[in-house]
Amino acid sequence: MLIGIDVGGTHTDGACIKDGHIQAIAKVPTDHDHLLDTISQVLSELLKSCDASEIRTINLSTTLSTNAIVTHRTEKVGMFVIPGPGIDASSYALGDQYHILSGCIDHRGAASARIREQQIQPLATECRHQGIQVYGVVGKFSTRNPEQEISVAQFLEPQADFVTQGHRVSESLNFGRRISTTYYNSAVWRTFNKFADAQEQSIRDLNIQADINIVKADGGTMPLKLAREIPVQSIFSGPAASVMGILSTVPVDEDALLLDIGGTTTDMTVLLNGIPLLERDGIAIGQHPTLVRALQVESIGIGGDSLISSQDGHLQVGPDRHGPCMAAGGSAPALMDAMNVLGYAQFGDRERSSAGIKEIAMTLGISTRECAEQIVSLTMSLLKEKIQAFLTTINSRPVYTIQEILEDRVVKPKRILIIGGPAEAMVPLLEEEFDIPVIAPAYSQIVNAIGAALTRPTQSLVLTVDTSRGRFTVPGLGIHKTIKRTYSLEEAVHDATTMLRAELDRQGIPAQDGDIQVIQAEAFNMVDGHYTIGRNIRVRCQMRPGVITTLVP
Amino acid sequence: MLTASSRLGIIFFPAYDWSISPTHPEREERLLYTQDQFREEGIFDIQGIDEYRPWIAQEEDIMRTHFCFPNVPTVCTNSHLISAGGVIRGAQLVMDKERDRAFAIVRPPGHHAMRTVHGSRGFCNINIEAVMIEWIREHYGNLRVAVVDTDCHHGDGTQDIYWHDPDVLFISLHQDGRTLYPGTGFPAEFGGPKALGRTINIPMPPRTSDTGYLMTVERIVLPILEHFKPDIIINSAGQDNHFSDPITNMNFTAQGYARLTKMLKPDIAVLEGGYAIKGALPYVNLGISLAMAGVDFSAVQEPELDPERIKEQKSTLDYLAALCDQLPEVYFNPKQQDVEREDGYFVRQRTIYYDTDDITETQVERVKDCPHCPGIMVVETETTSTPKSLGLYVPVQGCDLCSQEAEARFARAFQDGFAHAQLSDRVEKRYEYAT
Repeated sequence: MLIGIDVGGTHTDGACIKDGHIQAIAKVPTDHDHLLDTISQVLSELLKSCDASEIRTINLSTTLSTNAIVTHRTEKVGMFVIPGPGIDASSYALGDQYHILSGCIDHRGAASARIREQQIQPLATECRHQGIQVYGVVGKFSTRNPEQEISVAQFLEPQADFVTQGHRVSESLNFGRRISTTYYNSAVWRTFNKFADAQEQSIRDLNIQADINIVKADGGTMPLKLAREIPVQSIFSGPAASVMGILSTVPVDEDALLLDIGGTTTDMTVLLNGIPLLERDGIAIGQHPTLVRALQVESIGIGGDSLISSQDGHLQVGPDRHGPCMAAGGSAPALMDAMNVLGYAQFGDRERSSAGIKEIAMTLGISTRECAEQIVSLTMSLLKEKIQAFLTTINSRPVYTIQEILEDRVVKPKRILIIGGPAEAMVPLLEEEFDIPVIAPAYSQIVNAIGAALTRPTQSLVLTVDTSRGRFTVPGLGIHKTIKRTYSLEEAVHDATTMLRAELDRQGIPAQDGDIQVIQAEAFNMVDGHYTIGRNIRVRCQMRPGVITTLVP
Repeated sequence: MLTASSRLGIIFFPAYDWSISPTHPEREERLLYTQDQFREEGIFDIQGIDEYRPWIAQEEDIMRTHFCFPNVPTVCTNSHLISAGGVIRGAQLVMDKERDRAFAIVRPPGHHAMRTVHGSRGFCNINIEAVMIEWIREHYGNLRVAVVDTDCHHGDGTQDIYWHDPDVLFISLHQDGRTLYPGTGFPAEFGGPKALGRTINIPMPPRTSDTGYLMTVERIVLPILEHFKPDIIINSAGQDNHFSDPITNMNFTAQGYARLTKMLKPDIAVLEGGYAIKGALPYVNLGISLAMAGVDFSAVQEPELDPERIKEQKSTLDYLAALCDQLPEVYFNPKQQDVEREDGYFVRQRTIYYDTDDITETQVERVKDCPHCPGIMVVETETTSTPKSLGLYVPVQGCDLCSQEAEARFARAFQDGFAHAQLSDRVEKRYEYAT
């Protein structure tokens, strides 16, 4: 039996699933200041119709870290960065204790300037006097060679409760993003770990002996034990839970478009052969881009409560919202009211809807029905325009080989899946506009909790080899060793997938054949003068995002 | 967060599946470390710098600029079409004002490719800058264009293509041809009889470093650009003047390249040569990109740089100072030269060697001394493998008479004994082979 809990902005949903059937659901208001109570309440609700002893896993999609960051309730972090030459590192500064150190690792992983302890000493002392207890250490190209990062971290450890090392938060390149990812990881570390302690205790109190996993923004989960080390990976998991929820109710193996229509906005996601697309580098926290992998989700300023207004004889839909639509007791007409007038929806007080649209219609000198039709048609063309732009962005992503340019794999959705309040009402309209099947999955009210329950773990691994230097690096696992000069791409692919599988085993995550995807496997001849001196090999593989099972219809 | 003061579009296309041969300098790995550096520096996270996918150039785009024999597909592969398409994409971004500037970091390069192409010279088949310039003139009208070639090798291909064109100013700064391939590019080469002073060659002594290079730009290039008043400035941004380049002998740095870019203010920069793929390209490309975007580049530096070791000797600076005194005259007061004439045509007879493909071409070029326009160009060319072929070019400023003459010659090409004939009529926009 699997439990999924999705902590949302207003409600927290829970679902308990056994053999593809929903056993129980729960919905309670979210109390952001007492998140643990909210979660316990959901669990107690679910336990009314499920047996605690049968629960194997509890997957949590929580706003804890996100909320701590957006409400500025994070801990002060002492940051130590090692930029070497390049873009001015002060432009990435976060917090009051941001220190730039000497030292330099180049793109080959070679150290060309040294760390000086006498430079770190007074800065560390200053941090201690400021009462700082958590730290972050980030070096440029530290994923190629983490020795300078490690030595600074070791220096700080005696005075630290926790030190985040840049090369452990992500294996991807991007110094600026690595800095913000590391900073936020340390900033939420204590909050998250306190929560984790309490969560484990509360589950024991309920006599549940289950593994706890945390949902990530990339449409996967990670074990709580790992999340304690990299809590930053738990941010912005809501949209991922909803995407995975849709995928567990409607299996998809083709290109598709997912729409989640809320009150104010509509979130779009694209599936390529049924697999959700990821952001190229990672998600941004406000003005600070990070290396936290996330599904590529784009918001459009149109939702069920989008305000309808007219200016100089022109209708406007959204992007503002003035409370709920009139059918739900609001004071100004919204998109949902127009859908009520035309009979696409039968929602709330339809008389009020009609009255609201009529008022706008009078200013334009047209009938109420005509006005509603114009509103809906305007909405559809706005949606279409934004969706086309999103697809164009995806389809013009840079590629780096002649083969890819010539193949030109274009994402072209074969169907649309839609959830959210006005979903049902939108189905016929979208079908007419896009001329492809549109499906509103069942259980759309608790789709996020279902998604949380059924989401599988994800994990990726990057292996880099430079045979000319005999260097073998897997930054994510902290492996930096020497390797024979004849090491080949085939061996690298084999080693990378084997190591990923072993790591998944270690974490107790079962991986089937086909779950591990090789995303990149390249080998470049390295030449010095006229002689080949070795090969530069790069392999990237991942346990791809997916669901454990799909619901039995 | 960093913000660019000029919106910059970067077309980054490393062609990871293409090489001339596995150990050739022009191979798959060439831009790998540049991409690593870009990713690690997060250059595309800078507000105002964005990455674009190249277009694929069409056969017509190639034929507008080149005579390809025996035909286009034989000398121009998909890799060349994409490389040229990448540069065209950069031009489109700038011309349509989607971006203020563009930098095409693409390969294979192009500046050794001349108007007539039988194969690869100096790693180049298709002159990607010229293909772009002609694409611009076809779609946006005949603009005045300045090409500043800062590759370490003389841009002999671009020089050849614009030799007779008074509306394209070509300036090449390079290591002295007496010491480096292709062995040309002397001040005495300064343009055809109808475009005198529109070609400027600045040969620099080996081991020139930042001081000497930037003085030359300041004292020769900038005043000429100032006077010529181009509508668009293109930089053929070869990176092989770098002190660590394996096949040249100059001492320029990444910082020097960035400052050079800041001085030139190119609308479009195009990567050309540069084969110190680990020690130079990652830093030079970063420096050029930041300079084009107007972002602070003062901390960009090669980790192993020792400025004292690469400084110029005084004699080098003295030599360059003398060059700076004399060379502007070539532009401002070009002297009429003796040219071979024959029945109202200017004639150039040449033997051209394609080092990369080991082909020898013999060529006769005739340009009409037309009173109305720069004149029709008639090229007769052959190699050991391609029999005598005919190229007919009517320039973009061409007149009706030249256009008619081209058509007449094209119609009787086979009768006149040519195995292949190509017409590029820029006035009629006709680009075809005789069939």
